[in-house]
Amino acid sequence: MATMEIRSASKNYGTIRVLDDINLEIGDGEFIVLVGPSGCGKSTLLRMIAGLEEITGGEIRIDDKVMNALPPKARDIAMVFQSYALYPHMSVADNMSYSLRLRKTDKPTIAEKVRDASSKLGLDALLERKPKALSGGQRQRVAMGRAIVRQPKAFLFDEPLSNLDARLREQMRAEIRKLHRELGATSIYVTHDQVEAMTLADRIVAMHGGHIQQVGTPLELYDRPANLFVAGFIGSPGMNFLKGDIADRCLHLCDGRTIALPAEMPATMGEATLGIRPEHVVLSPAGETGLEATVELVEPTGHGIILHLTLAGSVFKVLTHDRRWLEPGASVSVSFPTDALHLFNAEGVRV
Amino acid sequence: MTATPIPATYRRPLRQRLAVTLEPWLYCAPVLILITAVMLVPLVLGISYAFRDIQLLNPFSGGFVGLEHFKALGQDDAFLRALRNTLWWTGASVFFQLAFGLILALLLNVPFTGRGLAQALVFLPWAVPTFLAGLNWAWLFNPVIGPIPHWLTALGLMDEPSNILADPSIAMWGPILAATWWGIPFFAITLLAALQSIPKDLYEAASIDGASPIQRFFSITLPYLAPVIAITVLLRTVWVANFADLIIVMTNGGPADRTQTVASYIFTQAFKRLDFGYASAVALVLLALLLAYSMVILVFRQKLSNRDK
Ligand SMILES: Nc1ncnc2c1ncn2[C@@H]1O[C@H](COP(=O)(O)OP(=O)(O)OP(=O)(O)O)[C@@H](O)[C@H]1O
Ligand SMILES: [Mg+2]
Repeated sequence: MATMEIRSASKNYGTIRVLDDINLEIGDGEFIVLVGPSGCGKSTLLRMIAGLEEITGGEIRIDDKVMNALPPKARDIAMVFQSYALYPHMSVADNMSYSLRLRKTDKPTIAEKVRDASSKLGLDALLERKPKALSGGQRQRVAMGRAIVRQPKAFLFDEPLSNLDARLREQMRAEIRKLHRELGATSIYVTHDQVEAMTLADRIVAMHGGHIQQVGTPLELYDRPANLFVAGFIGSPGMNFLKGDIADRCLHLCDGRTIALPAEMPATMGEATLGIRPEHVVLSPAGETGLEATVELVEPTGHGIILHLTLAGSVFKVLTHDRRWLEPGASVSVSFPTDALHLFNAEGVRV
Repeated sequence: MTATPIPATYRRPLRQRLAVTLEPWLYCAPVLILITAVMLVPLVLGISYAFRDIQLLNPFSGGFVGLEHFKALGQDDAFLRALRNTLWWTGASVFFQLAFGLILALLLNVPFTGRGLAQALVFLPWAVPTFLAGLNWAWLFNPVIGPIPHWLTALGLMDEPSNILADPSIAMWGPILAATWWGIPFFAITLLAALQSIPKDLYEAASIDGASPIQRFFSITLPYLAPVIAITVLLRTVWVANFADLIIVMTNGGPADRTQTVASYIFTQAFKRLDFGYASAVALVLLALLLAYSMVILVFRQKLSNRDK
């Protein structure tokens, strides 16, 4: 168990800066999820913590000890790779015990720890198999087992579930959550799947373009996104954005229509973006209160319907559980509960 | 026993049955004929020489002598010595080729500036014709024109500059050195290709697990390379055991037959004494030995890869 601290860390590949001024404090036993689009530097940050990638600037500390110059083995962390990286010539049991054998742990202790981990992960029947005789999900478990037998200070996960099918991913997600509750180990988990991020994290770190955009609990990121990027990234389907000018306590859209703003928002501001999540939009029959819009596309998902509307010249999505008004081409009215509105200024920062 | 038996009296007409049996063979015929003409006929002809008395200088030779050649072989001390020399020559050459080839491959697998050029240069010896390589090394060992004896003397390994190839006790090292130099690229190329196919994240996982570079080599690199090493060693052994060029050019089997291998002995018998019958018999024995060796290696390899499953 450990605390971790990243102080203005940065990373350059040649002259290209892929991570810039990363600051993060991680508490003992916390489950941190790094999310962000592909190429934003999540893996790079994780590998810098693991010691697989040099740190160009700043500092990474584990338990108040500077790790920058230490090799991976001296950092006492375990990592689960996206490709699992199981040793193909070793059996499942040998894969799991490799680190212990390198440490010259005595045989009975090794056997006990491997047994412990394998029963936790349901691998008892597979201990003698080679990795290539396992399914993707089983390999994933072995990779987890290899990490937990060591009882390291911290766990690092780099998209461990992205090679599994949706059903299995759901199941493993729950198991990882359970495992974390049992072991209580400090964990950093990289994913670009925001459902994984929301369900697993104590705190989410949203990254974009090599910068941290926001750090907070899943609900903080959902309820009060710090900027347009986080607002659009968290939540599915993504948040709707309406651009316009704010004057007289109203947002003036480009087609001349207006949306009234709640009292706590600024009355005049100039250019701004208003955000509203598809699930918070209120639908009513055409002609009633609200803005009129045309249905372009109807996507039933089973537990609800996603309507694609055209509003002020751009696509506007609505998630509804009401099964009426299903034909494309129909007109509907949309209105917005004032407490569900998010306002961002011209720079994309929340106001 | 309830099934109705096919009446024994019913048979298809003979011609039809013949056509059905022959049909697949007819389809295969072109290839079979080609294989027979190109591969089997020369092979059988060569083998048949071993049982005949064929001497180019004797116009009355050519008769069938049965196992005479093989009986003579059993008593031929020169042949037995050549057999021992072959073992030594093949073993040492392949071992050093493998060892240095592996080291070279490991070095070339590490990224550094100018790696492309280094790789190209390393593979150069492979492109040198063996006769040229043999002459080259023979000259290098020659104290009159070559530097190596002088270097060895300067290092104190040799009392005075003399020709290694002329000293019966160490003459074999000359061709072995040349063969090693010439054969390293083969191992380096194949092992480098195998090394580059090992996933990088295995090494990363192992370094996180706490493995030192040497431990990583033994638990990841070597198991990955093992099948490739087995098959290249097999190929190389057969090749080097059959390989007479360097020895013929550098020492011609001498001094005092100390560098005579079975392959060079075959060459000597066939093209110096012009006794093709006897040379074929020796060649047949070498063939049998190499076949047996290949079987052993293949079975071993099969066992190895079965264990991995
Ligand atoms: N060895 C390298 N040399 C140069 N640039 C690199 C190197 N490795 C990664 N990068 C760059 O660093 C950036 C961050 O890469 P990283 O692998 O951390 O992304 P990621 O957030 O993990 O993306 P993904 O979700 O696709 O895995 C990318 O733009 C990538 O092109
Ligand atoms: Mg990544």
